[in-house]
Amino acid sequence: MSRVKVFFNSSVNSKIVASLAGLGLVGFVIFHMLGNLQVFEGSDAINGYASILRDMPILLWTARVGLLAVAGVHVGLTLRLALRNRQARSVAYAARRYRFASVASRTMALTGSLLLMFIIFHLLHLTAGVIDPPALDGLDAQGRIDVYGKIVHAFSNPLYVGIYVAGQLVLGLHLSHAVSSVFQTWGIEHAALDHLFKLAGPGVALFVVLGNLAIIFAVFLGLLRT
Amino acid sequence: MKFTLRIWRQGGPNERGGFVTYLADEVSPDMSFLEMLDALNQRLIAAGEEPVAFEHDCREGICGSCSLVIDGVPHGPDRGVTTCQLYMRRFADEKTITIEPWRAKAFPIIKDLVVDRRALDRIMQAGGYISVNTGGAVDGNTLLIGKDEAETAMDAASCIGCGACVAACKNASAMLFVAAKVSHLAMLPQGKPERTRRVMAMVQAMEREGFGSCGNQYECEAVCPKHVSVRFIAMLNREYLRSGILGTKIPARSDPPHGESY
Amino acid sequence: MIMLDPNVPAGPLEMKWDRRRFSGHLVSPANKRRIKIIVVGTGLAGASAASTLGQLGYQVECFCFHDSPRRAHSIAAQGGINAAKNYQDDGDSVARLFYDTIKGGDFRSREANVYRLAQISTQIIDQCVALGVPFAREYGGQLANRSFGGVQVSRTFYCRGQTGQQLLLGAYSALCWQIERGQVTMRPRTEMLDVIVVDGHARGIVVRDLVTGRLSAHTAHAVVLATGGYSNVYYLSTNASGCNVTATYRAWKQGAAFANPSFTQIHPTAIPPVGAHQAKLTLMSESLRNDGRLWVPVSPSDRRPPNEIPPSERDYFLERRYPRFGNLVPRDVASRAVKAICDEGYGVGPGGQGVYLDFSDVIWQQGIDVVRERYGNLFEMYERITGENAYEVPMRIYPAPHYTMGGLWVDYNLMSTIPGLFVVGEANFADHGANRLGASSLMQGLADGYFILPYTIGHYLATVDSPPITEDHSASRAALERVEARLKKLLQGKGRQRTASSFHRALGKILWDHCGMSRCAAGLRGALEAIPSLREEFWRDVVVPGSGEAFNQELEYAGRVADFLEFAELMCHDALHREESCGAHFREEYQTEEGEPRRDDERFAYVAAWEYREGETPVLHKEPLNFEFVQPTTRSYQ
Repeated sequence: MSRVKVFFNSSVNSKIVASLAGLGLVGFVIFHMLGNLQVFEGSDAINGYASILRDMPILLWTARVGLLAVAGVHVGLTLRLALRNRQARSVAYAARRYRFASVASRTMALTGSLLLMFIIFHLLHLTAGVIDPPALDGLDAQGRIDVYGKIVHAFSNPLYVGIYVAGQLVLGLHLSHAVSSVFQTWGIEHAALDHLFKLAGPGVALFVVLGNLAIIFAVFLGLLRT
Repeated sequence: MKFTLRIWRQGGPNERGGFVTYLADEVSPDMSFLEMLDALNQRLIAAGEEPVAFEHDCREGICGSCSLVIDGVPHGPDRGVTTCQLYMRRFADEKTITIEPWRAKAFPIIKDLVVDRRALDRIMQAGGYISVNTGGAVDGNTLLIGKDEAETAMDAASCIGCGACVAACKNASAMLFVAAKVSHLAMLPQGKPERTRRVMAMVQAMEREGFGSCGNQYECEAVCPKHVSVRFIAMLNREYLRSGILGTKIPARSDPPHGESY
Repeated sequence: MIMLDPNVPAGPLEMKWDRRRFSGHLVSPANKRRIKIIVVGTGLAGASAASTLGQLGYQVECFCFHDSPRRAHSIAAQGGINAAKNYQDDGDSVARLFYDTIKGGDFRSREANVYRLAQISTQIIDQCVALGVPFAREYGGQLANRSFGGVQVSRTFYCRGQTGQQLLLGAYSALCWQIERGQVTMRPRTEMLDVIVVDGHARGIVVRDLVTGRLSAHTAHAVVLATGGYSNVYYLSTNASGCNVTATYRAWKQGAAFANPSFTQIHPTAIPPVGAHQAKLTLMSESLRNDGRLWVPVSPSDRRPPNEIPPSERDYFLERRYPRFGNLVPRDVASRAVKAICDEGYGVGPGGQGVYLDFSDVIWQQGIDVVRERYGNLFEMYERITGENAYEVPMRIYPAPHYTMGGLWVDYNLMSTIPGLFVVGEANFADHGANRLGASSLMQGLADGYFILPYTIGHYLATVDSPPITEDHSASRAALERVEARLKKLLQGKGRQRTASSFHRALGKILWDHCGMSRCAAGLRGALEAIPSLREEFWRDVVVPGSGEAFNQELEYAGRVADFLEFAELMCHDALHREESCGAHFREEYQTEEGEPRRDDERFAYVAAWEYREGETPVLHKEPLNFEFVQPTTRSYQ
């Protein structure tokens, strides 16, 4: 067996690598949310921000490919673990009660899959513009891509608001367990700090979800408009 | 007291199992859960039927034999006890109680509620020991061990190997069991020389047996009759990381042959 | 005809073990690989023996009836393990541990064995520490000790209230290592049902695979029994439900002498029984007597709750009767005192079976936290079982059968009267005489397994000529047939549909009443009449459902009860013939005016070893006990 295979046959190794990849994704999600908050500064700010990113195609595509790879590693490893876990109990309990295990922790595979679907949708929708593009050519007055316009267009529609709010809830659930979990997986435990580690997940989740929801609802409630 | 029992019956490893409902009446609140099953079995035997097979031995919560999932929770509703330490006064009268075996691929059912837990022994055989020969040990006080370290080692060592952690885990993972042994031995100076090899070997054995991986859900700690903490799993992960980094030593060079032969 | 040769080396007491080790022949390493040893049982003695023999290079095949070797009942020992380390500098020494043990055993054990046990005790602690046993430590990192079970020095090492568990897991881990190395083949869920004797030597065993029901013969060069004690003969005891006499009893039937079967220890501090459904008695560690005080109301008619009874109306009966040792008198003395006071009508709780064990004084003096730290888990356990909070109301306790000093007779080399059949741990009779001191059983089990047997068995193997035999040797086949016939007979009985358990309970009552804490000739004779008729009923009426070719717990159990039903008679014969009171054996006819036991060294300073004769009363052989180094004294704790 190759060394790589041996390495990843260990669930502990797989988890450590998956959590590293996951942390990368968490970092992106935070960065993404903070960047997008610029919509509150008006169309000029966010469109400018988007064009700066696009003006550096090498950086942009490196980041995109990198992100894709990281996501691929995360999804691939966790999927493999999840399948193995499913095999580890072939007959389910007739009665099942959990005492400690939170809903978020028990549904990581489900929230993860939903999240993946949501991200694909989101990419097709707002990044590639395949789904429901704005009617106009999508450029602003300076000829930049009108990100602001896209956002306003999207979240004026209750259907998309619904999908994105649901996506955020799924993201929140996933992150709330994921981030706290990282400490345990890396073996970081400390009598005095353990409760902070436990709060880290819900904290990060809340931060990201509230930031994203703010944009969605700001548009939907008419605080941001073209 | 009176209870309706839904008990998993299965003739053998390869037979189909299913729930059978029994009525347990004249149950005294002072009875232990297993004594309640004893009474049921006495009735079944006297009627010429096969009694419900379940594992039990010391009946004081230390041998780790008893293994019932009671209404969906291994060892039943009380925390920090084994099934044999569970008393019927804990249940509301006239309740229906569902009793299932430990369920995990690594714990095949032998009969009814009895499962084969040898997988845990094989994990221990992979490295859950300190390789010292009998005789020639140094005086017990030669290596001083601080009280706190000794106590923490004892916390980990108090695992009774019942397998409730596996039964409770959504992923049927044996991480808490492995973590308890790895942490116990890694914490003591006597266990340090082998810590790198031990954690690698034990985790590998765990994977081989078909247990799942840890989802950090901590249901294991919630059902552990000895309150073994999930912090030991963090410690296991740390030991594992450490071994991954330090485990690759400079390979030992085999000595060139001497003129002298053995 | 059995010859009892204790085989004790000559010379001064301190030199005997050294001399034996030096004079013993050794097996060469190359030969060890070709020698197979069977070890039955994986408790402290069995696991430590099997692992050490494996380490020495023998091929070991190890059997246990549990699903895992780690579940043997040694695991339940709570209190601790004695060793003459004298870390506390409080006057302990090998000689003192020796003397305490031999005196505690009421001068009914072999001096040389007991001295060796005391000598080895210190090595055991070192070995266990090396294996990673997390003994309690002081803040400075040194091993902690407590005083335990009727001795005046602190020599007991402990791991909270789980010492037996930790020592067993240590031995189990050593066993795991040897299994991994391929030196030991482990066969769990296998019950030994007979011994194979070829030309007078033990050469194998017959076992039943408890999962498939398959019977098979296993042959070897020597057989080690580490199968524990038989307190479960009383039905209610502190033992695990699986503990039984089958292995040693069947060895007895093949020619191994059984020594002092009536020496059974009743532990004073168990939770009192509450009803007929009860399957076992739960032990509360003896260490509780270090701080708790036993009492009953002065007036038997006093039905007030204990906390409302003022100190002046309480009878602290142990402190009154034994002012020097008070609540810390040895187990037999305490148990008898509790039973006596309850028999007089002073008992408290349901059925008057119980006395108070009160911690209010120590809580008052040292604070509740100290008590919680020392005994927290025991108090928790007590509350779970009884529903009472012992920090607020005194515990109630009552004696329960706990340990059996009797067992297969062995010589100084731990070999039974069948050459090649070695017996270690509680299964042998060796070191505790007529009564065992607290924290000594763990010591003996590990001494036998780690340090004594591996030497002595080597000498046997080096000096005996054992031609190879196969599994289908005529002796193996005969043993297999015996076992098969018995199992078949058990499965046939379809009479009045009584369960094995109901017979076991009936037998337990006979023994508890007549061969329990106090015995008398009339009672024992009555028992000797009652037991055979109960046995007859058993074989006529017992119902065992299911088949022999499958996992069948009831069949296992019925087989063990059947052996208890025969063995109980042997116990009563032994108790009847010993017309003295010594240690745990208290004959009502032989007591002083104050009700203290009267020992008779003139007539009974011997080990009673019984030989099996088919269809006849067992034959008594005597191994005289010569006390060269200590003078038997009256064991007074007053």
